[in-house]
Amino acid sequence: MRQVLSLFVSLAVVLIQLLSPHRIVRVAVASPRPRTDPRQVLAIIVNRSNPAENLSFAELRKIFLGERSRWPNGHRVVVTMMESGNSERETMLREVYHMNENGYRDYFLKGTYTGDIPASPKTVSSPVILRKFVFNTPGAIGYLRASDVDGSVKVVSIDGRLPDAFDYKLRIEGPAK
Amino acid sequence: MNTQTKRVTGRPSAVVLGARTLLSRLFARHSVALLLLLVVAVEVGLGVFVMRDLLTTYSQVDRIYVISVQGLHRIGELQYEAQETRRTTLYALTTNDGNLQVEYADQSRGADRLVAEGIAQYLEQARMPQAIEVGKRLANDWNAYLKVRDDVLGLILESSAEQAVDEDLTSGVSLFDRVRQDLEEIKRLYDEQASQQLALVTRSSRRSELRLIGGFAFALLFASAAIWAIQRNKMHNAVQLAKLQVDFVASVSHELRTPIAAILCAGENFRDGFARRKEDLVEQGSVIVDQATQLASLVDQVLLFAATTAKPQYILRPLQVPEILASALRNTAAVLEKSEFTVEQQVQQGLPQVMGDLGAISQCLQNLILNAIKYSDGERRITLSARVDDSAVGEREVQISVQDHGPGISSSDLPRIFEPFYRSPQVVAAQIHGTGLGLSIAKRVIEAVGGRLSVVSEAGVGSAFTLHLPVARKDSQTDAVRTAAGPGELAT
Repeated sequence: MRQVLSLFVSLAVVLIQLLSPHRIVRVAVASPRPRTDPRQVLAIIVNRSNPAENLSFAELRKIFLGERSRWPNGHRVVVTMMESGNSERETMLREVYHMNENGYRDYFLKGTYTGDIPASPKTVSSPVILRKFVFNTPGAIGYLRASDVDGSVKVVSIDGRLPDAFDYKLRIEGPAK
Repeated sequence: MNTQTKRVTGRPSAVVLGARTLLSRLFARHSVALLLLLVVAVEVGLGVFVMRDLLTTYSQVDRIYVISVQGLHRIGELQYEAQETRRTTLYALTTNDGNLQVEYADQSRGADRLVAEGIAQYLEQARMPQAIEVGKRLANDWNAYLKVRDDVLGLILESSAEQAVDEDLTSGVSLFDRVRQDLEEIKRLYDEQASQQLALVTRSSRRSELRLIGGFAFALLFASAAIWAIQRNKMHNAVQLAKLQVDFVASVSHELRTPIAAILCAGENFRDGFARRKEDLVEQGSVIVDQATQLASLVDQVLLFAATTAKPQYILRPLQVPEILASALRNTAAVLEKSEFTVEQQVQQGLPQVMGDLGAISQCLQNLILNAIKYSDGERRITLSARVDDSAVGEREVQISVQDHGPGISSSDLPRIFEPFYRSPQVVAAQIHGTGLGLSIAKRVIEAVGGRLSVVSEAGVGSAFTLHLPVARKDSQTDAVRTAAGPGELAT
């Protein structure tokens, strides 16, 4: 009987641990974890006047695919991409668009031709110009290595996670710059 | 004379007297040099005025430069940068290249930063209320334009060129025009300030010219007037001296003629045998002796005056005052007796010794006694007094006074009685014989031995002449040789 009771209590403790996420997070935070290298993650940036603080990954995808044309404050969404041939763009194509360069080009050609997409993304040549573009354009959204971000633009979290989160999705493959 | 006027030639202190003498000597000797010095001083003063005016003008010109040139330069820069802000914004409209658009936006922002700094600097330096008001208006208009410019840039970068153009035409153009008008207003204010400053400089320059001309005219007039005055004074002195010399010659001639005539007459009496009796011979001989004595006295006085105009040397030594009085009385005893004058002596007991030359001081005193006899007008009494004066500033002095009880000296004559050859018209009219040298000689001699002579005269009461002699110091036992100053230096 005592053995049955002991087993019951153990099961109850395990159940409580499983059903309590806070408890689990606290345990997880307490455990040592490798730091995120800011040069190896992509930060999603918007104009500082943009009220958006957080986007779900699905919303982010919609925005970059041109399926969403206005921000809640009424400004037009202006997607900004860097020219091809860099790991930031490759990461965006892979993680957000789920396309390669050809697929990306075809997608926007078709979209703008049919009118499904109001405008294809703006393309700029360098991270610095991209940052300045976002700074100057109220409805702009773009991406930068987290190490290239400064105070002139605002970083939005994706699914509630900022680039320094250990489970942040937009990670750059290949050597750090 | 019933009016009781009292004339006193004061008793200035030794310091004041010394300073006065020094100044009069200095002016007498170097009048022309002093005049030139004065003219130079006036010219230097003028130069200082002109330099001050020039410095003021320079400062005003500098202000004009700061206001007009630097101010206009600043406004020019502001206008250029404001145009650059707008121009680069509009350049962004001309391209679809995102990179170029960003570059233009950057340039626009760089230019607007310079404009904002320029406006802030202008506001910081603006002093006039109008300038401050325009500056604030410019700052507000510029901020309003920048807001529209940011919207236009945003629209351009969002590829909404048409909306950007609309926005710019609707708001941007009018706001930028206001900015331009504000800048023109500031420019106009700078121009106005510069014009005002220029008018100030012109007025200041004109004032300087007038001052310069006025100053030079004044200096010229002043110099001319001074030269005229000095020449006139010298001429007046020369004329007066010539007149005095003529009078002197006439007086001396007259004085000489009278005894000579008497001697001549006595000689003729001898020659023509009119004096044969012993009494007649004695009488005529006495006339000759008396008149010859008078002649000798006259010649002595002239010679003495001539001697005082040279530089006689006196032996200064401590003297007893009674010794001086006795010497003078001894030498004038005959005249006093003959004139039936009594001398009343008031000598203070225990008088200190005085410094001087016995012969010289005695001679002065004799002259004063003889004058008292000559001008006593029937009152045959002279008072001779001696006392020590401790109240004098500087050295103690002994005062020896000769007081007559005659009619006194008129106030118009009093300042001139020490001039050589001067004889008052009343004396000449009264036919009192003399050369006009006695007092002049006494004054020169007494000053040459370190003393001075003063006079107090009261009409109807008489005159008192006083010799002021410095008291001998205890250590001044050795004789000192003192040379009298030249005649020009002693003349008053």
